[in-house]
Amino acid sequence: MTTLRKTATSGTTTGMTAARVTALEKTAAAFSKISFWRTVVAMIFAAGLYSMYARFALGFQAATNLTDPQPWGLWVGLGTLCGVGLSAGGFAIATAVYILGQERYRPILRTSVLISFLGYCTVCVGMLYELGIPWRIWHPIVMWNRHSVLFEVSWCVMLYTTVLALEFSPALVEKIPWTRARELYLRWHHSILIALVLAGTLLSSMHQSFLGGLYLITKGKLDPLWYTPYLTTMFYLSAIPAGLAVTMMAIYLCVRSLNARVDMNILSDVSRVIAPLLAIYGVFRAVDLISRDATQYLWMWREATLLFWLEIALLVVVPLVLLNLQKVRNTPLYLYWTSAVIVAGFMTNRLNVSITALQANSAVYYVPKWTEFAATLATIVAAIVAFRYAVIYLDILPKNPPRERWMVPSTPAQA
Amino acid sequence: MATTRAILVDITKCIGCRSCEQACKQIHGFPMGSETKLSPTAFTVVEERGDRFVRRMCMHCQDPACASACLVGALKKTAAGPVTYDGAKCIGCRYCLVACPFSVPRYQWSKLVPYVTKCDLCAARQAKGQPPACVEACPVQASIAGDRDDILEEAQRRILNDPKYVKHIYGSDEVGGTSVFFISDVPFEKLGFVAVPKQPMPILTANALGDGPTVILVGGALLSGLYWITERRAQVALAEAQEKSAKGRG
Repeated sequence: MTTLRKTATSGTTTGMTAARVTALEKTAAAFSKISFWRTVVAMIFAAGLYSMYARFALGFQAATNLTDPQPWGLWVGLGTLCGVGLSAGGFAIATAVYILGQERYRPILRTSVLISFLGYCTVCVGMLYELGIPWRIWHPIVMWNRHSVLFEVSWCVMLYTTVLALEFSPALVEKIPWTRARELYLRWHHSILIALVLAGTLLSSMHQSFLGGLYLITKGKLDPLWYTPYLTTMFYLSAIPAGLAVTMMAIYLCVRSLNARVDMNILSDVSRVIAPLLAIYGVFRAVDLISRDATQYLWMWREATLLFWLEIALLVVVPLVLLNLQKVRNTPLYLYWTSAVIVAGFMTNRLNVSITALQANSAVYYVPKWTEFAATLATIVAAIVAFRYAVIYLDILPKNPPRERWMVPSTPAQA
Repeated sequence: MATTRAILVDITKCIGCRSCEQACKQIHGFPMGSETKLSPTAFTVVEERGDRFVRRMCMHCQDPACASACLVGALKKTAAGPVTYDGAKCIGCRYCLVACPFSVPRYQWSKLVPYVTKCDLCAARQAKGQPPACVEACPVQASIAGDRDDILEEAQRRILNDPKYVKHIYGSDEVGGTSVFFISDVPFEKLGFVAVPKQPMPILTANALGDGPTVILVGGALLSGLYWITERRAQVALAEAQEKSAKGRG
């Protein structure tokens, strides 16, 4: 808080000693940093810390409400399924820019890759909570079962996280002061970039769909509104628009709060891609339900059906209606909230498949323990904080001049 | 290869004495005392359904969903019949619990280093030529063990010769066949047996997994093609721009 220090030192004629002033001003500066959001983040981290203790020192029974009939809960549903799905923006934008030559998305390329990378990091951290014996997380590398969907998923996630780290690495390497090493690395990176993007697209397409494929084996357990041989396609088709929606929200927030300089028209461009993708997904869902003769379940008065309609409303109907309005398409704030609705719909879908649609069969009513929420939330918030600092200190998005702007609020904070 | 072992449970004969439960607990060193549901310390339980007693245990499928689901191959269908679990490989993902159509595997939720638990058809005892402990303990031969083909034949013989039986052997075609069979005089659905698909469960995921290589090949070719077009366009655009500027100068 350099501004504070300046105003304070200019008024030291009152006879106070300089040391005393410095101490006072330091306290004032420290308190002025306690904002609403910082308090919230600190509280989430505190809760997350306790959850970490509960999970790793006390075990599943203390940290979760998981039971044999409900062996996968919030950590899989929210942490893994939503985490991976909502991180699909990186591969979508990278494919658009590098493979399809859609240069107009280049300004948001790094942002989307960063979001994906951090997203996959949260998934990997979440996996440590999720696995009963987390220190054996490397086992799938050497112990293979090619018949397991989860085996394929674990390999794809492992490889794709590496791809994302490499794709994102120049943003960090650029900051290395040794010119020689930097140039060498960047040249090497440039030569493998297309291969990386190509591998990323294939790996993403595979595991985004295979995450749905995990539930193919639950035939007879999963509610017929969701169980379809095309679960893989469903997961793939819904992940791309949801991932793009997250990218839109992040770009909007960067411009609003982090002084990023992005032409907001890019949000309208992305929304014009999201709308047809959601429409295709909606049509696919409808055709699938009709062809499987599952339409009878659409009008039953039961919880699963209500949740199904909530999911369809949030993921397909409401966003499509909103994106059809020109005013929404051209207003960044409206696009932000539309994206939020899509993300909410997406999360409803994944939680339905992984938890609620299996509930009727399992005969136990699973409500996650607060520590389950806290653990996942803390991981996500850690990723958001990391994202914020990456945008501030690295060249992720073009920033408004002067460069050191964020260190100092544009209007001096009068504590 | 030795013969494939199997168990037949004749529900009409079971008297509900729970000797099988106790024998199972004894050889595994579990605390004695009856449990109502399968648990990490109860690999088989006798459930009361009306006036019948139904023994629950791992079905030891011929093509088990759990074994196909396990990403590290900790669960295996052995040639001798039992579906066994290798705790040393297990990472605790619990996909086997999700996958099992009969909801049999149990997890040690209360332990800090938890493992999956389920009946292994006394694989070690059977390898030595002994019957499973539960079968040995049954005082009325409601459970019998033997070669899978012989056991199926015996079950067939019983339901054909006695009209009281339901004309179905539960396990004969459920999920493509199991190694534990039930015959009953009361319809199976009334005894809490779940209606499961008739085809082996792993087929459901095998189809999707089979698409993997195709996705890589076709997708890879398609993306490479698209990239080539993009590059070509950029080159053409560059050349045109250079030509234009050259003309403009000339």
